[in-house]
Amino acid sequence: MTAKRWWMGVSAAVLAAGVLAGCARSETGGAGEAEDGGPLAVSMALTQVGEIPAKDNAVEKLLEEYTETELDIQWIPQSAYDEKVSVMMASKEMPKIIKLNYVPLVINAIRSGDFWEIGPYLPEYPNLSAQDEQHYKNISVEGKIYGVPLFRDMGRATFNYRKDWLDKLGLDIPTNPDEWYEAQKAFVTGDPDGNGKDDTYGWMLDKQYNTGISALLTRLAVANGSVNKWGIVDGKMTPDFTQPEFFEVLSMFRRMYEEKLINQDFAVLDGSEVGLKFDAGTAGFGNSVAGALKSQHERLTKADPDAVVDNSGFIGPDGIRLAGEPGHNGFLAIPKSSVKTEDELKRILAFLDDMMNEDAANLLVRGIKDVHYADTDDGKTEITDFDAFQLEVKPYRDNLLYVEGYNTKPLKDTPQGEKGTRMAKENLQYAVPNEALTLTSAMYSERGNELETMIGDAMTKYIMGEIDEAGWQKEIENWRKAGGDEVIREFQESYDSIHK
Amino acid sequence: MRDRTPGGRLFDAVNYAILSAVACVCILPFIYVLAVSFTSPEEVARGGLILFPREWSLAAYEYIFSTGTLTNSLLITVYVTVVGTLINLIFTTTMAYPLSRTRLRGRQGVLLGVLITMLFSGGMIPTYFVVSGLGLTNTLWSLMIPSAISAFNLIVLKNFFQQIPSEVEDSAKIDGCNDVEVFFRIALPLSGPAIATFALFYSVDHWNTFFNAVLYLNDSSKWTIQVYLREIVILAQSNIGDSSRLEEMNIQPLTIRMAVVVFATLPIMLVYPFLQKHFVKGVMLGSVKG
Repeated sequence: MTAKRWWMGVSAAVLAAGVLAGCARSETGGAGEAEDGGPLAVSMALTQVGEIPAKDNAVEKLLEEYTETELDIQWIPQSAYDEKVSVMMASKEMPKIIKLNYVPLVINAIRSGDFWEIGPYLPEYPNLSAQDEQHYKNISVEGKIYGVPLFRDMGRATFNYRKDWLDKLGLDIPTNPDEWYEAQKAFVTGDPDGNGKDDTYGWMLDKQYNTGISALLTRLAVANGSVNKWGIVDGKMTPDFTQPEFFEVLSMFRRMYEEKLINQDFAVLDGSEVGLKFDAGTAGFGNSVAGALKSQHERLTKADPDAVVDNSGFIGPDGIRLAGEPGHNGFLAIPKSSVKTEDELKRILAFLDDMMNEDAANLLVRGIKDVHYADTDDGKTEITDFDAFQLEVKPYRDNLLYVEGYNTKPLKDTPQGEKGTRMAKENLQYAVPNEALTLTSAMYSERGNELETMIGDAMTKYIMGEIDEAGWQKEIENWRKAGGDEVIREFQESYDSIHK
Repeated sequence: MRDRTPGGRLFDAVNYAILSAVACVCILPFIYVLAVSFTSPEEVARGGLILFPREWSLAAYEYIFSTGTLTNSLLITVYVTVVGTLINLIFTTTMAYPLSRTRLRGRQGVLLGVLITMLFSGGMIPTYFVVSGLGLTNTLWSLMIPSAISAFNLIVLKNFFQQIPSEVEDSAKIDGCNDVEVFFRIALPLSGPAIATFALFYSVDHWNTFFNAVLYLNDSSKWTIQVYLREIVILAQSNIGDSSRLEEMNIQPLTIRMAVVVFATLPIMLVYPFLQKHFVKGVMLGSVKG
């Protein structure tokens, strides 16, 4: 019995210690209003990128200095971002700036008036208003702007390819479904890696081949002349999968699948696996973005020093046509519950604007001089410690405002790196926007995912030969009946109301 | 006891073979995770199934310990697990015992209240309002207090206490014990296996705390280890449905992901053998009619 008593005594002591420690951890209140003249207190909720930077690290301190603020950043893990934000919105416990994703939940909150409309104020801020208007349009809700987008390139859809393989097989970059088929066949049967076995592919599909903004199927279909997910055809709102150009691409994959020219397990294969196959020299084509050329090349040449990776925009019968991307990685919004007055709103906007001034912009894109980057003799900059940059600067860069090349010194890079940066800018002119990006449809908010899964499964069935062309048409009919027609009608109305 | 006939031996052999195969299936993933975490990244990049590292490397572990965050979150998790489990046990036993005594008035009403919480839950946002209204947000209490009693465990434990014959209680009372003493000196010592079992259930729950930690804690220095684990391991696989975003994310190499998995699983695996004998007893109890 004494042993038991002793144990209970210990547990009571531990519990008491816990009670005290727990109390000690309770948080002091949020950042208050700044006194006039002092630095502006800005609380922010951002997405966690990699490790969470230590509080008051050198980068954050410099950013505070450049923008005359006192930052209080709350990092939220990406894996539960939208849930956490929904709780914050419901409880009105929001910081002064919150990074939001353009998802139905957020759009509803915006429509119910929880956030400041900043559109009318933008012209007063030189850096914010200098950016391409399309970035703002793509996050607008019913034509109004409620935040500053984290600017991203819109025309960066490219594919990487094994230049050494294409050269060896004497092929050019494919420009239509028939040529893609020929190239695929050559990559599978022509033994481009010279090991005497048919163990290589051109494209390898993964289970996301038809979902997301970088869906391979969409990108190839857009190059072939289709709309980008949603577009206006003959004055009517049209989803891409009803287009003949789209069907051509779909049929091309069906033929490849039937002739075993494409990995047979694509319906269950994870996207990261396909990336690894490209790095290991199994695949010849990689669905990618312009800026990724450098890292792809470096990863591949580690395994195979003779390999040559190059990239190209998706080319179709009408030249380059790219599936345009939303042009943002979320946006920074200002909640009315935490920023009460117009004056304070203007100060917060001034802070966002200051972030794109030359010194702050260089800090976010290049890091700290002589720590992360150094100036070169030819007037450019060079990243000297990439690992430190990834760890210390990237968390801020990815969440705050920057535009590569805007108020920043040019970057000296490998030829692949420079090509990637250049293409992302140049190809903007070929980007085909998704017309439904900011349109509203009650049916789409409610059942959009379900409808997309439905038609996506039908695509997989068609490629795998489970249904024929008549079956595919029937699936489209089913999609229409299940709510698709409603979505089309609502998108059309929303489109008409904005483009009067 | 062993059947020595040829047929019996064959039966044994087949049993051993099947059970060994099942055991292998269970253990191999662990060995794989452990082996990969100790293998050099170059060898992992070459691919294939690794069950024993050919090129040993501690690089992954050096990396995950290079910043204090992981160790810190481990300490937090240990703290939450130990204190949280104690809270769970104290509250669950002290509620279950009175409910097990049939002479308690109003017992059925309380039990009905408990049952209702098992069937209907408030949902994420109302629960958040409760936690926030109590001022628990951003304290570690938010991970321990709202989950102090699991309704299911409470009812199982109540049934367990009911098996203690009332005659034992009567004799203790004749010897001069009051109700509190009966609870501490008779009921608790007799239910060691059951309490050990629930200690294990509760502590594993605390160890796996993820979602509540993200919801209730704003300060990242208080995050539990599962939050980090999830960031590092899950993110790399799901890539949020969009492969072109890959270059914008920090994807950790497989060796590091595996090292974090080992690091996050090891403590609970070390504790398990010591609780295991109670665990077997506790679980078996329900199957024996007394």
